[in-house]
This record gives sequence, structure tokens and C-alpha cells, in this order.
Amino acid sequence: MRSVLAALVVTVVVVVLLVSYDTRVPMRLNPESALRTPAAPRSAAPRATPTPRPHPPGSRTAEGRLFTTPYTRIQVEATLYRGRLVDVRTTLLGGSDTHTNALNARAEPILREEALKAGSADIDLVTGATTTSLSWIEALQSAMERAR
Amino acid sequence: MTERRLQHVMGMPVVVDVRDDGAWPDAVDTVFAWLRFVDTTFSTHRPDSEVCRLDRGELALADAHPLVREVLAHCERLRGKTGGYFDARAAGRLDPSGLVKGWAVDRAATLLSEAGARRFCVNAGGDVVVRGGPWRVGVQHPRQRDRVAAVVELTDAAVATSGAYERGEHIVDPFRGRPPAGTLAVTVLGRDLATADAYATAAYAMGERGPAWTARLRGCGAMTILAGDRVLCTDRFLRHRVPMLSPP
Repeated sequence: MRSVLAALVVTVVVVVLLVSYDTRVPMRLNPESALRTPAAPRSAAPRATPTPRPHPPGSRTAEGRLFTTPYTRIQVEATLYRGRLVDVRTTLLGGSDTHTNALNARAEPILREEALKAGSADIDLVTGATTTSLSWIEALQSAMERAR
Repeated sequence: MTERRLQHVMGMPVVVDVRDDGAWPDAVDTVFAWLRFVDTTFSTHRPDSEVCRLDRGELALADAHPLVREVLAHCERLRGKTGGYFDARAAGRLDPSGLVKGWAVDRAATLLSEAGARRFCVNAGGDVVVRGGPWRVGVQHPRQRDRVAAVVELTDAAVATSGAYERGEHIVDPFRGRPPAGTLAVTVLGRDLATADAYATAAYAMGERGPAWTARLRGCGAMTILAGDRVLCTDRFLRHRVPMLSPP
């Protein structure tokens, strides 16, 4: 059995990958992103301007501590309803990013080749995850503690 | 009640996640104390670390900590196994970091096992050891941060990814002195993280020759993502791979 927090972390990791896509300037990000289930197919199209969603009476929202890594500054706002996380907003994500130059390469017949089909699935953790994404989880935990 | 903690140590975020019933604060304390010792002793960013003092010639190898000698000997063995592509001196100075991280996390897992934990994971900056299971591990897409490129299901295993993911991680082809071309990322799964991480580093440094090399590795599976979104997987890797939803 997976704990609630574990399930949450799964969601969070996937979402973090989403929010850390372009981090050149501090910006506000899609507040609904954390509510996507990890298994949901996602569109590659640009996302609409974030609109805060309403929450039922008794919901508690708090902003966590500001977390800094050598490359980014992250702050997260969490909303809890009856002890469960119902909304997450990344209120600050500042830093910069680099990408590798892409060059063609040849295939090796000894290996099976397939096209890269990017998708998502129910996952426990991520290899190759960035400092940003792991730090985002920390920032979220801080926000959740304050919202309790 | 389970135990989950994240701390920045060794220059990266490290997550320890124990899923066994009960509270595990002492075991997790011990893990982070161990990692801080490793950082103090092996860091290439601390001028007073044993590794930096060795590099400057201020400390003789014979006088170094036994664990330092163990790691450097291990580096030499890996240099042989990877045809020179894993090289603790690839950047021109002594830098065993490519092994230290995996080696330290393997020991952290041993510490947790000895404390009685059976189902846990340690994620050190995206390189992972899992015990018990099965765990579903996503491989981050090298270009699209909102995607995972693959998902593998692992029990009692380690998985490491090398590529251009993290700033500050500049893997250099030791024979050309520059980063490899044509490869975006290499993920290697195996029994221990020290080996998986070193092999991922070496395969990435090999560039387009990397995939064929990974196909000959014993006890390890590998996935290489090439420029142009082409993916090469070894049979062992595919045995662990689980289906994903295709993008719309």
C-alpha cells in the first residue's frame, strides 16, 4: 500500500517536470497543474493564463518558505481541505536553464530501436529529475505544514 | 506511519523515503550523517577535503582515509571496465564524484537495511536506489520537462541517468576533452548504484558508440536517448519497462 504522501509525491514529481519547463524569469504558473492525475494524457499546447479555482468553505491555504538552490528560487502555495491537498500553486520559480545541442546519430542494430513516445504514468520517483523538481517537493511540504 | 525526508547534501537534494510501517527517524538521521561525512571527505568544492588535499599533493595516498583509498581503487577498476571512458581524472584533476555519489548511496541503503527497513528508496539528485518493491521509476524526458521518456518497474535495484539534465554536470569525453555529441541521455539500471552511475556516465561520454557498449554489459540494462528522439533499449531494460500512455 502506498501512503497518501507517497501518492502525492508521485503527482508532485510529474507536475514539477511540468512547471520547471521554462525557468528563465520568475513567473506564475498554472495553479491547476498539481491536480492533474499522473496518468492523464497531457497536451503539448501552451497553457492558458492561470486562474485561481474556488475551494469549499473550511479550506486552508498557506504559502511555504522560500527555497533556494544554487540555480533556482522556489516558493509554493498549498490549499488543504479536510487535511487533503486540493490545490498547489507555484508562486515563484526563478532561475535559468540549459539545453543540449542536438545532433543526429546512427542506430546500433544490436539494440531495439523505437521512437520516443513521451507520456506519463503512475510513478513513484524519477531518475534524471532535476534539482528544481526535488526542491519543489520540499517547498510544497513546507506549504502543506503551514496550511495545516 | 512512514518516514520521508529531503535534505541538500553533497551539493544536491537527497530524498530518503521509507515505506515500512513505523517511524524511522534514527535510521534516516544516520543516512544523512553518513552523506555529510562523505561530502566533507570527498568534496571537490571543499579545499580541506581529503580529495582536494590529495589532488594538491598535500596528502599522500597511503595516509588517506581507508574509505578514500577504497573509492579511488574502485575508480581505477571502473576505468578498466569502461575502456577509459569513466575516468576520475577526465577533467584534468582528481574528481571521483562520478563514483562517490553512487557508492555513498549504496552504503546509505545498506544502513537502512541494517536498521530493519525493507521497503525504501533513496533518490540522490535523480539517481536512485530502491529496496523492496516493485517501484515505478520514471525516466525524465531529456528535452521536455513535463514528460517522462519511459517508466521502469524495479525491485531491489538501482538506476542512474546521465545527460545534460543538470546544470553543473558536465560529462566530458576523456579522449576528446569535450562533451559527447548526438546523445541526449543514458539511463542504466543494475544491482548497485555505483556501477549503474559509472556505466551511465561512461556510455554518455562515448556518444554514439555508447548504445552498443551498453548492450554488452552484464547484469545491467540501458536506455539511450539520441538526438532526434530516437531511443535504443537493451533487452534487459525492456523487460523492466512498463507501458505508458501515448501523448494525445
